[in-house]
Amino acid sequence: MASSEDDPTTQHDAQILSIDAGGTMTDTFLMDSNGEFTVGKAKTTPDDESRGFIKSSQDALEDWDLSVEEGFPDLVSTVYSGTAMLNRLVERESEVDVGILITGGMEDTLRMGRGRQSYTGYSYSDRLHVNTHKHPEPLIPRNRIRGVRERIDVKGNTLVPLYEDDVRDGVNDLLDQGVDHIVVMFLHSYKNGEHEHRTAEIAREIIDERGAETSVMLSSEYYPTLKESERLNTVTAEAFAAEPSRDQLSNIQEAVDEQGGNVGVRVMASHGGTIDINANELARTLISGPIGGMIGANYFGQKLDYNNLVCTDIGGTSFDMGIIIDNDWQIDYSPEMARLLLSLPMVNMESVGAGTGSYVRVNPTFDKIELGPESAGDQVGVSAVETDVETVTVTDCHVAMGWINPENFLGGDMPIDREVAEQEIKEQIADPLDMGVYEAAQGVIDILESKLRNDLEAVVTGEGYAPSNFKCLSYGGGGPVHTAGYTKDLGFDEVLIPEWAAGFSAFGCGAADYEYRYDQTTSIDIDPDLSMEEAAATAGEALTEVWTNLEQKVENEFENSNIGRDEIEFQYNILGQYQGQLNSIDIESPVGRVDSPEKLEQLLDTFEEGYRRQYSEEARSPELGHTITQASVRGVRDVVKPEIPTEELQGPEPPADAYKETREAYWDGEWLDTEIYDLHALQPGNELSGPAVLEGAATTYALPPDCETWLDEHRVHHLTTTE
Amino acid sequence: MPESYPREHIEDLVDDNLEWNQLHDMMSDFKDADRFQQVRDVLQERVDWDDPIIIPYADHLYVVAKPDNRWVIKCDCGHEFCEHDENWKMDALINVRDSEEAYLEIYPEDMHPHPDYMELREFFCPGCNTLLEVTNVMPGYPLIHEFEPDIETFYSEWIEEPIPTAEPESA
Repeated sequence: MASSEDDPTTQHDAQILSIDAGGTMTDTFLMDSNGEFTVGKAKTTPDDESRGFIKSSQDALEDWDLSVEEGFPDLVSTVYSGTAMLNRLVERESEVDVGILITGGMEDTLRMGRGRQSYTGYSYSDRLHVNTHKHPEPLIPRNRIRGVRERIDVKGNTLVPLYEDDVRDGVNDLLDQGVDHIVVMFLHSYKNGEHEHRTAEIAREIIDERGAETSVMLSSEYYPTLKESERLNTVTAEAFAAEPSRDQLSNIQEAVDEQGGNVGVRVMASHGGTIDINANELARTLISGPIGGMIGANYFGQKLDYNNLVCTDIGGTSFDMGIIIDNDWQIDYSPEMARLLLSLPMVNMESVGAGTGSYVRVNPTFDKIELGPESAGDQVGVSAVETDVETVTVTDCHVAMGWINPENFLGGDMPIDREVAEQEIKEQIADPLDMGVYEAAQGVIDILESKLRNDLEAVVTGEGYAPSNFKCLSYGGGGPVHTAGYTKDLGFDEVLIPEWAAGFSAFGCGAADYEYRYDQTTSIDIDPDLSMEEAAATAGEALTEVWTNLEQKVENEFENSNIGRDEIEFQYNILGQYQGQLNSIDIESPVGRVDSPEKLEQLLDTFEEGYRRQYSEEARSPELGHTITQASVRGVRDVVKPEIPTEELQGPEPPADAYKETREAYWDGEWLDTEIYDLHALQPGNELSGPAVLEGAATTYALPPDCETWLDEHRVHHLTTTE
Repeated sequence: MPESYPREHIEDLVDDNLEWNQLHDMMSDFKDADRFQQVRDVLQERVDWDDPIIIPYADHLYVVAKPDNRWVIKCDCGHEFCEHDENWKMDALINVRDSEEAYLEIYPEDMHPHPDYMELREFFCPGCNTLLEVTNVMPGYPLIHEFEPDIETFYSEWIEEPIPTAEPESA
């Protein structure tokens, strides 16, 4: 297995353990107090995930000659992320039965969903064509959804009182059907939760009377945000997919305890922090996106003083991009998971279905090379002779062109046959198009990289930003081989490639804060004709009250893990807009209370500054007044994080033992002698110019002829193009 | 992408027995090279007559080759309508719903178009009385001729196969 250094005799204390239990494999990332890391793998054990967890940890610890019993007592931070929850959503199968009580007349909300749900998560061409749209299967069958007559309007006024007999009938009917959880979702309950709370009281009385074990979950308590379809999906997912995982997570905690670990297991959550396994809201750990890399990138930026980053991650199946501005990511408030729109805060990333494992095919209708959207994923390609992949992939093209050393793929763990790659490219791509093998392989790489370049440019400029204000950070196992290609001519300030690119996402999971975050939809108007005193006494008080309530929720979550208020650092956010606008912008408030004119003014000034930055000075319209559409509170508690290595700078000349060989590789139409280096043996300060290939344990960094790179003291490569 | 799907898969496609993910995969992928011929074979096997199907024309309707080099539109019950480039609806049994009363037979109250603005025309096969097509048009609008297939171009340029012909009629 790959590790950051080769000398196994060094003493290691395993400090940070980050585990990712995927559908097939459980990956471990282990880091010691010196920032050295190693990784491990084991089969995922869905029946009892703790077995795969321990085996994978064991595999990693073996690299350091440690057993689990020896290694676990040193742990100070353990972060787990599993896919069991997401699988329940994807498969629409759960161990538990869920019933729903909903505002009468809205019983079909789940079934109707939203138009976007009929194509969300599909490939671009499938999104374009109506015949490939289909509404996803609802999570809960219609016979377990009961209507209750009541109505609260958008301002929180009661229009129709709660018909308590409807509640009793509904609860009794659902209990007759033997449900484990009753979810209650009434319209506009984020604004006024009285009816939901009264419903819970009645339901609990009946449950007690009947001696049932059923629990009641309210949308106004779990996810008090606008949009009933998303809110219902989310509370339902909490009951249907997340709750059943509590036992699994407890098993993992027990396994850690049994092996002498003295650390609370935390779970990665969509808002970019980790939360305790006893958290009330677990559904936010249903992460489908690769946000670990974004968290790692933000931490990396904070440590090394890079404020604005464009993060790019190429894996086997997808290219993921995200933006970090002033050391904070953007939040998507309505992400999609398992083809359902949820109302959870999730670190915003754009993802396109193109990666190193993407299938390459000739479209028979147009005689044109096409990539993906399907991919061989971790099966690599046809040249990986131990797998049964039959279609040429992007990696096969790199192998044919001599960029990737067949002997060194995944540190030699995956046997690669270059002749197979060449033969298959010839048959599948080159011959049908009447091209040479290498010309065809080059064509594939060009198509991929220009696609990635377009997508990347769209993500940055589409948000109104200029690439010159950003450093582009490239990671993921497949990143560095393409970095030069997809960043070419985009005009980034700098292009950075950390040496540990392949383990960067896991590094990010280890770098995640211990953080809870709560959001609530609001509609607090600050009218323009009010004096600041009047505004503070009305809107200011209202916002302060919402923040205080959210703060209390965060505090309660930390209390579950015996963490007191004095250890928590709070951060306050709003979504704000000028009155009458459709879209809001995300503002981090400089103050946690706005009940005095001075503090409210500080918040409004911050909003104006944010608006100016995102749009322009001319677009500001304070004369319209302001509306606060959402309030959020984040609570962070310090945890031990991975060290970023710092070493002394050496000269520009690479050490002799870093040079491996010179071999021919195909660059832009010609075969050139290319120097091959050991990525991990280079020293800080070293400078290299292309053509060169830097081979690491789990990644290959390709340096085309017109490029140069130098390694800084943090083992980060800076890639530049020579004019 | 398979160059060709197994026969059973195509039968399931014709019978609408595929799971959504199977169907979705088929639609998203490049089209299998022999899809048309395979579907045609399945359809041919299911009708009781021997005239070779040239193309499926609509639900229950086909353009078939007749011995005297004619191409006619034929229902799966065996009823023959007209030449392939004529409008078969001219020969169909037609029921027109152009009154409140007629609409209410099939629509809930207040959920149907106003008869002065729109009428429903239902076309049935004279051979088997199957409902073949429904059009909704303004009263007085001519019969819509929906499809005039360019069979020669389709066979010569799209699938590059000879057009099926009927056995000459035995004497």
